[in-house]
Amino acid sequence: MHARVFLILLGLALLAALPLVATSYYLYLAELAMINVIVAVGLNLLSGNCGQISLCNASFMGIGAYCTALCTTRLGLPTLLSLPASVILAALLGAALGYPARRLSGLYLALITLGFLELVGFVLEEFPDYTGGIRGLKVPRPEIFGFSLQSNVSLYLFVLVLTVGTVAVGYNIQRSRYGRAFDAVRQSPFAAQALGIPVARVKMIAFSLNAAFAGFAGGLLAGVVGFIDPPEFGILASIQHITFIVVGGLGSIAGSIAGAVLLTALPEALRGVQEFGELVYGFILLGTLLFLPRGLVGLAAKLEALRVPKPPAKESAYGAP
Amino acid sequence: MTWRIILQLALSGLSIGSIYALVGLALVLPFKASGIVNFAQGEIVTFGAYLALILSGLGLPYLAVVPLVLIGAAALGMVIERLLIRPIVHQPEFTLVIVTFAIGFIIKAAIRLHWQDNTFSVDAPFVGPPLALGALRLNPAYLVFILSTVAVVAALFVFFGYSKFGKAMRATALDPTAAKLMGIRIGSVFSAAWVLSTMLGAFVGLLLGPVIGINPEIGHLILKGLIAAVIGGFSSLGGAVAGGLLLGLLETYAGAFFGATFKNLVPFGVLILLLLLRPQGLAGVSSARRV
Amino acid sequence: MALLEIDALSVRFGGVAAVTDVSLAVAAGEIHGIIGPNGAGKTSLINAATGMVVPQSGSIRFADREIAGVAPHLISSFGLGRTFQHVELFGDRSVFDNVLTGFYRHQSYGLLAAALRFGNAARSERRTREQVRLLLDAFDLAAFAGTRAGLLPFGIQKRVDIARALAAEPLLLFLDEPVSGMSEAEAEAAVATMRKLAREHGITLVVVEHNMRVLMNLAERVTVLNQGRLLATGTPAEMQADASVVDAYLGGDA
Repeated sequence: MHARVFLILLGLALLAALPLVATSYYLYLAELAMINVIVAVGLNLLSGNCGQISLCNASFMGIGAYCTALCTTRLGLPTLLSLPASVILAALLGAALGYPARRLSGLYLALITLGFLELVGFVLEEFPDYTGGIRGLKVPRPEIFGFSLQSNVSLYLFVLVLTVGTVAVGYNIQRSRYGRAFDAVRQSPFAAQALGIPVARVKMIAFSLNAAFAGFAGGLLAGVVGFIDPPEFGILASIQHITFIVVGGLGSIAGSIAGAVLLTALPEALRGVQEFGELVYGFILLGTLLFLPRGLVGLAAKLEALRVPKPPAKESAYGAP
Repeated sequence: MTWRIILQLALSGLSIGSIYALVGLALVLPFKASGIVNFAQGEIVTFGAYLALILSGLGLPYLAVVPLVLIGAAALGMVIERLLIRPIVHQPEFTLVIVTFAIGFIIKAAIRLHWQDNTFSVDAPFVGPPLALGALRLNPAYLVFILSTVAVVAALFVFFGYSKFGKAMRATALDPTAAKLMGIRIGSVFSAAWVLSTMLGAFVGLLLGPVIGINPEIGHLILKGLIAAVIGGFSSLGGAVAGGLLLGLLETYAGAFFGATFKNLVPFGVLILLLLLRPQGLAGVSSARRV
Repeated sequence: MALLEIDALSVRFGGVAAVTDVSLAVAAGEIHGIIGPNGAGKTSLINAATGMVVPQSGSIRFADREIAGVAPHLISSFGLGRTFQHVELFGDRSVFDNVLTGFYRHQSYGLLAAALRFGNAARSERRTREQVRLLLDAFDLAAFAGTRAGLLPFGIQKRVDIARALAAEPLLLFLDEPVSGMSEAEAEAAVATMRKLAREHGITLVVVEHNMRVLMNLAERVTVLNQGRLLATGTPAEMQADASVVDAYLGGDA
């Protein structure tokens, strides 16, 4: 237990020290990875723990991104107000989706999230007076109390602190009665109901939470990249987010972090063969689902089990957190 | 607003609706057989169009291209079902949905790898100047859409109603265990459903490609097919056809009366309304169980 | 006044009448058995009483409150609990976590408190985890606390199911075939525990079984169902003497 805490603190120290050795490009990459970690942790709560499929995760990221962008550029709000506003807006819309979605599952749930995705894309593109349309929006760097985070190091540390905080929040929620309720709803809605867990309301909460995380990530993305446009938040991005948590291991926060980091780094590693990037991505997703249903976390567990022989376990896509 | 315009729009709506109906059919078939929705169906359509492009490029006339594309699609369907779907049939729905998405993803990426995002054109005998039908003008391609759909629906009707294998498929859809006990090889039924489905999808690609141009975004059509299937409750082939036609008509009239923006809203407006109010579609049955 | 009063209950699924015009009453503190051959409608009765299924007609009153058609999680909050014939454990989670989830009803901290691990959330978790440990000890499950519930033998899963249901501190507990899949020894132990529950904790038990022997030993009053209809109600002795019951059940021992 203490070894784990020590490792985490060590890891955090190393991350904080990264600017000392990394170029601005790698800092940027790290920021993208951290933003994806936030996305993955949030999606994991909804899909990994609560078992609800969502094809519109990128939409909530987009909602957060555009909200932050518009708050800072049109309303002149400081970042420390724009970001929370984005989270709240995304959470509200997440609940709005979660409400009708609460009675749907599987196919129909996938469909309604797909519908929502299309709807958001439609709104983002068809109202250019507000959203800049397909030409996109430029977004200034985040600023704290008037100080714009122009330096790469300050931006990096800003994102790092927020990411660590978000992951901690995700972890706390997973360990709380809410996390248990999510899991119960996924595994046996009947038993959950019998224990007094309001299944429909819990699903709504899961949707809202997921949207909040995604919205927050979107708000950060806007500031980090400096430019946003609607295609970034379409079905492709949603599938990428799902890939993070599938590859990492459904249900596991450590898995979500690993999956997000790895798959953010991958396209960069494949720079030389840019066009193959998408194809490889698709194969990784497919391969993981077919051969490694429990993702990297499952793989780690299997390797662990090789050291200590145990009775064979029944394979499922979900692992214990 | 004259009758002529209304009829003209109806023809237009029915023809695009026929396409939606075919895609809807292609989606409902494997769902009825094995409970899986193939979210790669859009890319199957794209695949059909690009395969037609390749074969045309080899100098073959379109009428020769058609059966070859269908065979190619059948092979693709077989491969997908055997290698990718069969092993994961018992996994949670989440996995099944994402796997089919991944398959579509891969197909599209492979296509873009070679052809990028360019739009290609291919010649087909049904593309030409509008025909005169009394006072109406009809794009011959639209006529082909409608007639093809009628032919396909009739063929499926005969197949499922009167052929031995068709009846076996219906039995399997109703109760796989009973079907198995009666000696029906449900593995073959699943494969057949997928093969039929990919052939249908590729057929749509064959129809659409010459008319709207061949590019990787053709697959976006799947959304319309999904809506058509939902209108039919995802459980009825006839419902999917009716749903597709209905959607085509709604879209066309909406576009004519309220403009393009509204037209684009119709599909998901319909989808969201249906999912909220009657997820079982206009034809399905709701269950008494809660939770 | 009875704790649970079911009056002229009918439950249908599509064309199938699972339960037809069944009435029964369970007094507080009683151990009441419901028995009948397979397909008698026993589980459907429980499903209706716990809100999983909406009955066609009839009334279900619990503690003088009408609960027919009420949402399941609300019924649970009134103090009705159940176990499942096919267990329905959270298979991916440990036994500890399963039972811990059972305490959901009794934890009340909010989402913000959970997210930021406020004092009240942390305290609630600590307290509840202690209660889980006690409950696991009471059911002899401490050894399995860390094991994934899905990996355990059926008989032990049934015990976990009961422990989890008890965590919610119900006033009345429906036990759906609690000893099926258990060995003789396990069944005896389970029966003893159930009796202890009823006596010491004042929990009313409604036990559904098709194992005559177990039920006749355990229950104070028995209701016999057959093909969805009420056949007879009375003490075990009366039931064993009743000709129609014996007929329906011809030598029926599980």
